[in-house]
Amino acid sequence: MPREEYQVPTGASGAQRGATRDAHESRAQMSYLCGDCGGSVTLGKDALVACPHCAGRVLYKERTKRMVQFEAR
Amino acid sequence: MPGRTKKQEDPVEDTNMEDAPPSAQPEDVNDENVEEEEEEEEEEEEEVDPQRVKILPGSTDTAASFEFIDEGHTLGNALRYIVMKNPDVEFCAYSIPHPSEPKMNIRIQTYKGTAFDALKKGLSDLQDVCDVVADEFWAKRDAYNGEHGIDR
Amino acid sequence: MHPTKPAAWTNTPDAEEIARRQTVNINIETVSNNISTDYPGHFPGEDVEFTIERFREAFSVNFHQNDQFLSSFSLVGIDASLSNAFRRILLAEIPTLAIENVYIENNTSVIQDEVLAHRLGLIPFKGGREGLHNFLKWHKKPEVGEDPYAGCFDWNTVRLELNVECTVNPDASPAEDDPLKAYNNAHVYAKDLVFVPTGKQEEYFSGENAIMPTNPDILIAKLRPRQSINLAMHMHKGIGSDHAKFSPVATASYRLLPTITITKPILGADAEKFAKCFPKGVIGLEKVTKKEAAKKGSGYEGQEGQAKAVVVDAMKDTVSRECLRHAEFEGKVKLGRRRDHFIFSIESTGQWDSDELFLESVKHMKLKCKKLEQQVINMAR
Repeated sequence: MPREEYQVPTGASGAQRGATRDAHESRAQMSYLCGDCGGSVTLGKDALVACPHCAGRVLYKERTKRMVQFEAR
Repeated sequence: MPGRTKKQEDPVEDTNMEDAPPSAQPEDVNDENVEEEEEEEEEEEEEVDPQRVKILPGSTDTAASFEFIDEGHTLGNALRYIVMKNPDVEFCAYSIPHPSEPKMNIRIQTYKGTAFDALKKGLSDLQDVCDVVADEFWAKRDAYNGEHGIDR
Repeated sequence: MHPTKPAAWTNTPDAEEIARRQTVNINIETVSNNISTDYPGHFPGEDVEFTIERFREAFSVNFHQNDQFLSSFSLVGIDASLSNAFRRILLAEIPTLAIENVYIENNTSVIQDEVLAHRLGLIPFKGGREGLHNFLKWHKKPEVGEDPYAGCFDWNTVRLELNVECTVNPDASPAEDDPLKAYNNAHVYAKDLVFVPTGKQEEYFSGENAIMPTNPDILIAKLRPRQSINLAMHMHKGIGSDHAKFSPVATASYRLLPTITITKPILGADAEKFAKCFPKGVIGLEKVTKKEAAKKGSGYEGQEGQAKAVVVDAMKDTVSRECLRHAEFEGKVKLGRRRDHFIFSIESTGQWDSDELFLESVKHMKLKCKKLEQQVINMAR
């Protein structure tokens, strides 16, 4: 089974494709990891991109919570 | 058989349209029956173990090429050797025509007897060789273990 | 034109001719006499037809070493095509159990998921023999779109888990710069993989017989504080021709027995130099005896008590050909290899005993021929 298949966007979701704003508002809070201090950083939509603990400006996205399957080959 | 029709006055009850002979010539009904049974048999065997050996076109009794599916140099070379050791065999060689196809071809030409029999004898000789090797190997292994106090 | 009947006269080669035929010559830059000639019709009048009695008579096995996971033995009186078939079966056709699927819940280490999965796959495992060889059966890979777990049962799937998190070691000095002391779980080893028995696996794989890595100290990943790995693995049976991780052997190889023939005496300082051309124990030094010295034309005349080079154990030779590079030995020594003497060396990765492995390869070969013989008979019908 291919692990990361390209999902062809379906016609039905075409209306939503440009509307990123709507998607963002549904989960306005995003959690990141600070590259400097390693702490968790929660940012809102228009928040300043910086770590509140150490002012570090490099933030990493968190890893997916989903299980990922690999073939050991 | 699209595009073919069957003569009305040739009622062959136990063949349907698909099994009908491709020509409109009257065919022997019995022949047709035999063929059909053979086909059924082959289909049954396919479910158990697919046929992996076939004889290639252009073969005669004393000079034939055989195609082995899913076999390689392991069997090919061993079989070639043992068939060549048969004095009735004039020529024997194997080849793997293309590395990305799981096929091995073996060519046998004989002075006397059929190529088919030479192939069959080769496979049976190889089994005998395996028995001799296994027996001798295990006997010597037991003897060695006995001498050196290896207990496994 | 082929002979319609065998030659009316028969011929048997003498001992010298037999020795010549069974030796592959190793010359300074080349090899020669490297092709087998033991086929009917090659030498007129000779009967070399294959019969099992003849084979049984000529064939023998000698053991040199038989440890659980490393054995060495000689097969004598067999053709290269047959011993090569056994070697190839050892490498590619005997089944073993290895990690096939990795289900990663979390991996925040620096090693990427796919690399981690690949590393896990290559770790060799051991376990109860009865369970590995008889209880566990083949697993059929699910088709695309099929439920991936539907075909997984206790008799074809072994589950392993790995859950490690690296933390700061509170007992370590703040100045500690050895990660293994400063942190807990800084290194993830093969021994950290946990076997989770399911169903009847409890019966076959418990205690001593549990599924565990053959070498517990294989390093899988390195972690730093707050990094963690959480994953589950499925092991299935497979064969080496599908993927090398399934190969039951680390190495299975053979070499031909070296032969060293001293054709003219090598004496004194030359003998010492000659011995140095070979690994230790191959060439020995002996004193020329009175009898040899007295014999005319032997090359030993008047050399009584002088050191001479003799071959002690040619099997230890690596056939480096060093002796052929020196002018003083020219024409005095011949190197070769015995065409029908195979020195096998088999190193198992842990799921089989090494001697058992060879027997298994022979059985495998027989089964293969048996199946194909039936197929050939079916083909004719």
